[in-house]
This record gives sequence, structure tokens and C-alpha cells, in this order.
Amino acid sequence: MQSILVVEDSATMRSLITQALEDLGRPAKIDEAENGFEALRLLPRVPYALIVTDINMPDINGLELVSFVKQNDAYRRIPLIIVSTEGSERDRDRGLELGADAYLIKPFEPDQLRQVALELLDRAPAPGAEDST
Amino acid sequence: MTARRRRRTGQTKAHREFVSEAEEILERMRDELSELAEGAQEGSETDPDVVNRLFRSAHSLKGLSGMFGLEGMSELAHHLEDVLDRLRMGRAALDKQALALFDESVTLIADTLGGLEGEGARGETEEAIAALIERIDAWTHTPEPETGEMDGLGLDPTLLRALTEYEEHRLRENLRRGRRIQVVEANFEILAFEEGLAEVSGAIREVGEVLSTLPSPGEAPESQIRFSLLCATELEPAALAGRLGLEAEAVRQVGGAGPPAAAPVREAQAPRTEPDAGVAGPAAEPAPPHETLARELAEGAEAELDPAEVAAVERASLKSISDTVRVDIRKLDELMNLVGELAIQRGALKALAARLAADARTARLGVDLEKLHKGLDRKLQELQSAVLEVRMVPLRQVFDKLARVVRRLRLDMDKEVRLEISGADTELDKLIVEELADPLMHVVRNAFDHAIESGEERAAAGKAAEGLIRMEAYQRGNDVVIAVSDDGRGIDPDAVHARALAQGVAAEGIEMSRREKLDLVFAPGLSTRTEVTETSGRGVGMDVVRSNIATLGGIVDVESAVGRGTTITMTLPITLAIIQALIVSVGEDRFAIPLNSVRETLLVEPAEIQRSEGRELLNLRGEALPLRRLVEEFQLGRADREAKHYAVVLGIGDARMGLLVDELEGQQDTVIKPIQGPVRHVRGIAGATELGEQGAVLVLDVSALVEDAMRGKEAA
Repeated sequence: MQSILVVEDSATMRSLITQALEDLGRPAKIDEAENGFEALRLLPRVPYALIVTDINMPDINGLELVSFVKQNDAYRRIPLIIVSTEGSERDRDRGLELGADAYLIKPFEPDQLRQVALELLDRAPAPGAEDST
Repeated sequence: MTARRRRRTGQTKAHREFVSEAEEILERMRDELSELAEGAQEGSETDPDVVNRLFRSAHSLKGLSGMFGLEGMSELAHHLEDVLDRLRMGRAALDKQALALFDESVTLIADTLGGLEGEGARGETEEAIAALIERIDAWTHTPEPETGEMDGLGLDPTLLRALTEYEEHRLRENLRRGRRIQVVEANFEILAFEEGLAEVSGAIREVGEVLSTLPSPGEAPESQIRFSLLCATELEPAALAGRLGLEAEAVRQVGGAGPPAAAPVREAQAPRTEPDAGVAGPAAEPAPPHETLARELAEGAEAELDPAEVAAVERASLKSISDTVRVDIRKLDELMNLVGELAIQRGALKALAARLAADARTARLGVDLEKLHKGLDRKLQELQSAVLEVRMVPLRQVFDKLARVVRRLRLDMDKEVRLEISGADTELDKLIVEELADPLMHVVRNAFDHAIESGEERAAAGKAAEGLIRMEAYQRGNDVVIAVSDDGRGIDPDAVHARALAQGVAAEGIEMSRREKLDLVFAPGLSTRTEVTETSGRGVGMDVVRSNIATLGGIVDVESAVGRGTTITMTLPITLAIIQALIVSVGEDRFAIPLNSVRETLLVEPAEIQRSEGRELLNLRGEALPLRRLVEEFQLGRADREAKHYAVVLGIGDARMGLLVDELEGQQDTVIKPIQGPVRHVRGIAGATELGEQGAVLVLDVSALVEDAMRGKEAA
């Protein structure tokens, strides 16, 4: 079963994202992280098939997390979706430049998130697969 | 209160979560705003971190309300975010007007949230939101200064990639101030990096600012994680490293004042790979993530670590940092109801035990059952107080809110008033604390607006220029007392009385004591015109305060000395959720009286009752105790003035009265339930309660009864 990591500091938003992802039509285990630190602790433990993260968070922000994931050989093939409230265009562009695979603006339709998630999950490396690119 | 809880039930769980999180965000925003306001008051520089936190709060609110289709709220939060963005980016300066707009926005958003729970007219708030947005736009459209670009700063671009726009602004700002921009690199154990990182960040903040925190584990040993902290300080790199207890090469200057230290060439300092370059060779290939843990554990074992210990560290670090749980108060109500119902069952058990014990054939069984019952009773009481404990919150929540209001008023009205607070840790039921905010606000505003004189007036009266409002709370038995006092002009009882006469609120020709005259400030319908407030210092909506407090089962009193000040004292029960009640009867009818307001009970002979001006009195240890007959209170029948009665002495605060009843039937734990139907609006009835097999009885509203007795009114 594929695992998905949701990083979002708002509890309400986190459960909305999780709810949307629970209805993917395929089994997936969803881990929730309340901030970037929790995400950093979970990443080495679980071979995630998808990461969904907010940008505006305390401690380390979403861009820093994207940078960490996408510059790290162990994780950079994990597809990553930024879900953020419409705000700075520059921050959005920066997120995509850093290697985020998709960007959704809140408020998003659950269907929209599911569609993007399914697309990216199909591209995700199988757990434990060698990085051969 | 109960009505409000009922209204909430129609909503989905997600919706409730949203409201509760939004309320939390608003609470945080209020704190941040008062921090800003205080800074502005003291004339100190605006703290960028506070503005950034406010920005993030507005940003979160925008996203959340958008998800729930609340366009007005989302739009308002969006405009708020815009203004805050300008402030944090240094494109606008904080002024009084902006602060006022923020305050209004937070209040309006809070109102809108309240409206979601059915407490406001939706159309009105929407109009208000549109109007406020227009004013925010007007403020925002003041010309903004130009900002420079990041180019030409001479900084390594790889460092800047993950900076948000705001972080970039802070970097620029620090450069402008001539600070040194430095990178601190440190490795931490991946299982417990937060403490170490917090320590380093904290130490940097003592001498400067942390601009960004970038994790980069690819360059750290297997079980560790490396963080690069981009920071700005005035210290030389070596000095900063010394302060942080790090080796000199862990800190390097990358920009800003002084000659940048030559970047030490270190193995780990290899330039980061481009995300899409795909150049990582097999040699540099880190282990697939799921293998990392296994290796970590294996390494732990090699180092002769107890695997159980490693597992414990692991568990601990995966646990969230906070060990508090947020609970919907309705769940606690449900728990309380269950406890109440258990208490009723316990009552039935006790009655059964007594019956068994009274019969010689079953006496032994009865005694055993009584013992068992005693044990059960003790545990039940513990359970009850444990559940009650959970509902308790300190008054600090409300006091802090009031302190903020006073600070704002001070700013807006240019009036020197100091606020003293004591006893903020006194705890009360959460629902009571919530309902207290409005009446307390009223009282404090009255004190500020009307009671405290202008600077000139105070000087003329030989008082200190700065006025004083003191809020004090403390527990007294089963009650909590909250007193708000001021050192203002005080209330002249005769002026209030004269005003009340002129307005027909008090009747002519009735001699009134000083206390009774003073008490007229609580009379409904007393004018709020300025002449009265100017001369009396009070009288604005105090009837509403009294009725609010009465709804909570409390009582409010006023004491005042002309020229010296006024004290408003509120006495409240600690909880409304469960009460011990005294069951009394009049003829066939039974009533429950909350035991916390019962001071004592007496058997009264008819001859002991005195009459004066149509009122009945009892001489209680030298004091005249006003008496009322329960049978007359609710027109249950004719009073038998020749029979012996029990007098239940009721007291709230310092007020006392005696209620005459036929019989005392014992004590019982009860849960008050609101009444539906015609009885609901009868003054003197607080609700109903279930008494197990014996059916439901009405619960007396002691505060209403005591108030009526104090006013000497005839029963309706």
C-alpha cells in the first residue's frame, strides 16, 4: 500500500486534505505532520509515494521542506504537491523551481486534489526501488 | 448558553473544527495585535516577527474560510493579509489607523463566526465586511516606497533559493542595517534534533535574527541531520561560533558588513546538486529511506545500546510535543450528564439499602449494601470532581481580553488609566467564563468612560493623574468573586435616586436606604443620558449586566463612595454543570434548591415571624432576615400562617433571605436541565432536574429570589 505524507499546520485544513485523499479509490496510508520538523522525522522512516505540503508554516516553511526533499537523493523522486492559500506569486514560482510537482491553491476542490494525487502516485517510485535515473 | 449549544449540533464535524480553529487563530491575533499596540504606545520599533505572525494568522484564516465557502470572511482576511504583507515587507509603516482597522477586522470576523452559530444577522455582517474592506483599501492605497531587488547583493544564489519573499525581505533589511549575514551549520541526531536546533536558534536570536532554517541531511552522517541556519548578526563569525559552542568552521559569513570571511573549503561544502540534474552517482547513493531506520537500529545495537532504549527514543520522538488534547465542551457535558445520571442511580441504591436495613429479616443485607453504597458514593464524587476539573479554565482568558480593551481605549481616548489585575488564575467553568466576557467588558468600559475623571478634574480633586481600574478574582467557598473597582468620581446615591424618580423608575414617596438608592443603578430603564453618567459615573446598561450574571446563577452588587470610587462585585457559582440540591416541599409540590446558596435551615414557630410594612421578617441572631413563602411565590395555595415552617436561609454574596417551606426532604446531586414550554419564563425557576424514581422537580433560581427579596418587591 502506498503511503502519503500530509504536512500542514492547520488541523482543519489537514483533516480536509486527508479526507480528500482517503477517497482516492485505492488504498493509501496517510500520515499527518503538523509541521516541517515532524515531516523531517517521518521521511527517513516511511517510503512515501507522495508528499502534500503547505507553504506558510512556522519553524521551517514549505519551501525549505521542498528544497530538502528535492535536493536529497533519497527523497527527490517522491512527487510533491504544494497546497497553499493564494498569496505570493513569487513563493509559488519558487516552489515549482525548487522541484514541486504540482501547486494547488486553497480553496481547492477535493476532486482536484484527488486527480492530481492519482496522477502523481502513478509516477511514484515503488517502495524500495533503486534510484536508477 | 444551553440554547447556543443546541444550535451547534446541526453542523458537521469539519465545520465545528473550523469554527474552533478559527476562534483559536482570532485569539492569537488579538494577542499579537495588543503586542503591536503596546509597542506602538511605547514608541518602540515595530517587531517584524509579530507582524509576520499576524500575517500568517490572516493567511490561515483566509485559506480556512475559503474552504468553507465563507466568501465575506475570506475576502476580509485577504485584505487584512495584504496590509500585513506590506507592513512586514517594509512597504508601509504601522500607524494608529492600521491598528484600528486590524482590531475592527478581528472583531468583525469573530462576529461572523458567532453568526455561523446563529447569533447574528448574516446580511448585516456582510454589509459591515464590505464597508470595512473599503476602508482597508483606502489605507492600503497610500503610496508605498520602492523596494530594491535581490540582485547585486553578492550572495550565493543557492542559499537564497528556498527563501520566501518575506525571508528575503528580512535579509535585505538586515543588510541595510549593516549586519553580517552568516550561515551556521550544525548536525543533530535525527531522532532528537528539535531541542538542539531550538538551542542554537535561541542563542542566535540573542544576538541577531534567524532568517531561515534549511535542513540538509545529505551532507551529514547517516543518523544525523544537518541544518543550515541563515542568520544576521553584528558579531564576527568566530565570535558567533564561540557563543554557539560550535567549531569556528561551522560559521561562515556570506554577506554584509566587513570583508566576508573566505568560505572555508570543506568536504561537506560541495555545491548542492540541481534537483533535475540527476547527477548523483551510485557511490553517493544514500540508502533507500526504509533501510535507514533498520541501519540506525543496527548501529545502535553495535554501540551496545539497549534496543529497547532505542525503541523508546524512537517512540518518544514520534510523539507530538504537546500532551494536551482539545475536547469539544459538549462531550464534557455528555460526561457530566452521565455522572449526574449515575448519581441518581446511586440515590436509588441508597434508598433501597435503607429499606432493607430497616427490616429485621434483611437488615444484614441492607447494612452490607449501605457499605457498598458508601464506597460507590466516594468514587462517584471523585469522578464528578475530576470531570468538573476538566471544565475549569482560569479567568486569565477574560482578564487578558479586558486588559487589551483598556490598552486600546487608553490609546484611542488619550486617558491615563492603569489596570491592575489579581487572581487571574482563579478557575471557573469554561461556559461561565465565556458568558462573563460581555458583562465584565461592560463594567470595565463604564469605569473607563464614565467613572475615571479627566486629567484636569483629577488634578483639581488632588488625585494622581493616572486613574486606576482594579480587577480582582478569588474563590470563596463554592463561589468565585470578581470585583472591578476604580478610583474615579464615585456614585452619588441621591443623584441616582433623583434621576430614577424623574424617569418613573422609582416610585415617589417610598423611603429608600442609601443601599437601595445605589442599587437603582441596576434598575431596568434607568436613563443612559450623560447627565446621569457624568454625575453618577454609572447607570449605563447595568440592568443588562445584572440579568447576565443572574442567568449564570450569580449576583452583582455595587458599593461606592463619592469622590473616591466604585466597586462592582460579581459572585458566581464555580460550575453550572452539576449541583447538589436541597429538596424541599410545599404541600404536594417539591422543589430543588442549589445547596451552594443554602446557608442554613431553621425550624420557625409562627410567633417568631415579625411583620413590618407588609413584609415578613425573622430575627436571625440580631439581623432582620426578609422572609418569603414558597407557597405564595408561585401561587401554589394559601399560606398557613399558624403552622410551623422550615426557613431555608439563602445567600448569594452578602445578600440573605429566608424561604419558608413545609418540609425538608434531603440532599441530592442533580443536573439542571433547561425547561421547554410555558414554565421557562417564570421568574424564580432556573430549570428542572430528574430525581430518579421520584420524577422531575423544578429548580429554584436563587439569585432571582434573593434579588426580589432585597428589592422588597411583592411577588408577582
